[in-house]
Amino acid sequence: MVAIMAKPVEQTGHDDLVVLAKSQTAALGRLYDLYYERIFRFCVHRLFNRSTAEDVTSSVFLTVARGMSRFEGRTEQDFRSWVYTIATNQANAHIRKTIRRQRLLGNAVAQRRAREQDSDEWSSLDWPILYAAIQQLKPEHQTILTLRFFENMDYDDIARVVGARPATIRVMLHRILRKLQKVLGGDPGGEE
Amino acid sequence: MFENERDFRKLVAGIETNDEPNAAHRERLRRQMLQTFEQAGVRSVPVILNPGWDAHAARKLAVAAAVLLGASAAIWVWLGSAGGTGFGRVRAATEKAPWLLAVAKRYANDDVQTEQHWCDLAARKTYVLAEDGAVVGYDYGTGQMKVSYNPRLKTVVVSDLPRTGPFGVAAAYNFVQAFGVFASREDVKVEKSTAEQDGRTLRAYAVEATDPAFSIDGQDVAGLRVTVFADPKTKRIVAAGMEYRGPAGDVLAREDWVVSYPQAGPASIYDVGVPRTARVSDMRQGYRGTPGNEPAPIFTPAPTSGFRLEPLRIELPKRMFVGTPQDGRTPHLEKPRGAPRPPFLAPAGTVNVARGKPVSSSDTEPLIGSLDLVTDGGKDATEDNVVELGPRPQHVTIDLLERCEIYAVVLWHQHRWPRVYHDVVVQVSDDPAFKTGVRTVFNNDADNSLGLGAGRDLHYTETYEGKLLDGKSTRGRYVRCYSNGNTHDELNHYIEVEVYGRPVRSIEGN
Repeated sequence: MVAIMAKPVEQTGHDDLVVLAKSQTAALGRLYDLYYERIFRFCVHRLFNRSTAEDVTSSVFLTVARGMSRFEGRTEQDFRSWVYTIATNQANAHIRKTIRRQRLLGNAVAQRRAREQDSDEWSSLDWPILYAAIQQLKPEHQTILTLRFFENMDYDDIARVVGARPATIRVMLHRILRKLQKVLGGDPGGEE
Repeated sequence: MFENERDFRKLVAGIETNDEPNAAHRERLRRQMLQTFEQAGVRSVPVILNPGWDAHAARKLAVAAAVLLGASAAIWVWLGSAGGTGFGRVRAATEKAPWLLAVAKRYANDDVQTEQHWCDLAARKTYVLAEDGAVVGYDYGTGQMKVSYNPRLKTVVVSDLPRTGPFGVAAAYNFVQAFGVFASREDVKVEKSTAEQDGRTLRAYAVEATDPAFSIDGQDVAGLRVTVFADPKTKRIVAAGMEYRGPAGDVLAREDWVVSYPQAGPASIYDVGVPRTARVSDMRQGYRGTPGNEPAPIFTPAPTSGFRLEPLRIELPKRMFVGTPQDGRTPHLEKPRGAPRPPFLAPAGTVNVARGKPVSSSDTEPLIGSLDLVTDGGKDATEDNVVELGPRPQHVTIDLLERCEIYAVVLWHQHRWPRVYHDVVVQVSDDPAFKTGVRTVFNNDADNSLGLGAGRDLHYTETYEGKLLDGKSTRGRYVRCYSNGNTHDELNHYIEVEVYGRPVRSIEGN
């Protein structure tokens, strides 16, 4: 099924659930229900491929299962930062592992983009083209972009996930968008 | 062209993609995740150790030095006591060996202390080497003396043998005498069973003794359970486990012993690292003086002995961070030593047999670097020295190209930052597929997430010193190192693996 991207993140208060999930299977199952879809969508946006996204999503939640009893956070915000950090690392690891394939994909789409340059309107921009452009960015920049625009996270949350200050994220995002403009403008070399 | 965040957000909102989750995958993963969670919460019982042991609790205990003495005595006592229970052949085969090397691991205060016990069975001598360089020698043969070396004072003290030892048995390190006393007790019962270790089925013999007459950390040991594991093929003891219980039945301490049978051993305390310049005090004769003028030789070296232990010369890379920060999220983490690693003693002639040797990996396409970096000698934590393997469990395997006797493995993952790598397991085998004859020399995979068996070794923080693992004189051609991500990310990094040993052909040719 095709869905519209950039769904808003629910603001829920499940702090007690996070504490209980450290020792109770049912509570962890509830947390899983709350976060599976978000993480899966995040993985799709980062990895482009549903099958790969499912694999990485599995890896993320199995990592959560192994580490939940040792997780020291006490709030849902702590849990959200943690699970997105894991997802970010897993997705980046996958991208780095398949970096050659990603570059080929990016170049192919960029060439197609160049051929269609004359008739381009922003309204015609589709997901493969945008994804190919995003792939030209550094993995960390891809993460920030995805968290901001596809996961609708605020700067504080993004900062917690990637381990930087909110102000730094704001500056980085500005630069990322400028780089993305450049890439979409026909420079597939990106920022490398 | 979009000009700002708002424009880009509109752009993204208008894009369609197929990101609807698959319900089947969701349910399947849910079951798998919850099952993993429940399994992670169940403590795995180490295959070779007694059930019912809580390793973490034991590490909280301060264990007195007397523990190892007691454990050693317990082994000897038990060796003899089981003579009438079908254990006689094991004892006889064990005693036929010229040397017995027992590597004992003592768990205390989130730290593991390792001691080597070199036992000359024929000459009735034992040398005990502690990690800090302290050495105690017992000569129940011709010398009839105890020799103690204190590395801080650089002094050797010669004294009479202890009159009494654990179990009230005189000459605790003379297991024949100890056996004679202990075996005569009618309350000794030997339990026989089998146990699995590294794919081998071992025979296990357990005995419990009450009132062994020693204390641990000021607490009286009211009960001692010793389980000895023997290889049914060689009939020799290969491992042992000790469990010390207090008056209330609570476990006071625990030790794991791995036993091997080297062809040669030290002929004197000077062969196990005691400097010949150490000051000697002979308490038996009131003598105090410098070496070369002492009234009695200390464990006179046998003329045929070419054996000598020397500190390994390990070249260390550049230090990348100061201090030893601790990651509070990692359980069972080794405490920082707060000082340089003490010297590790190995037989003279030991070299890094892994240098330049071929390396293979579970990840055939490293994300960064190439596999030859693992044995190229480069240890600095720079980009050009590190090979980065993918997420989840990965391993590198070094082919030493011939069978070697391995005394130590030194492992450097990424030490640019103080990370803790998960599920570090090091195994040795003659089988490149690691299906048969596999020996584990280190395992901190406490929850058995690799499926290689639960390990009891502690997690550790990467530093420029690398992690030195006792190779326990294990013999094999291939060395495999596992890891499963780290506290920073899910990736696996290797900068260098050094394997200190000697080719078996050179040992057996001597």
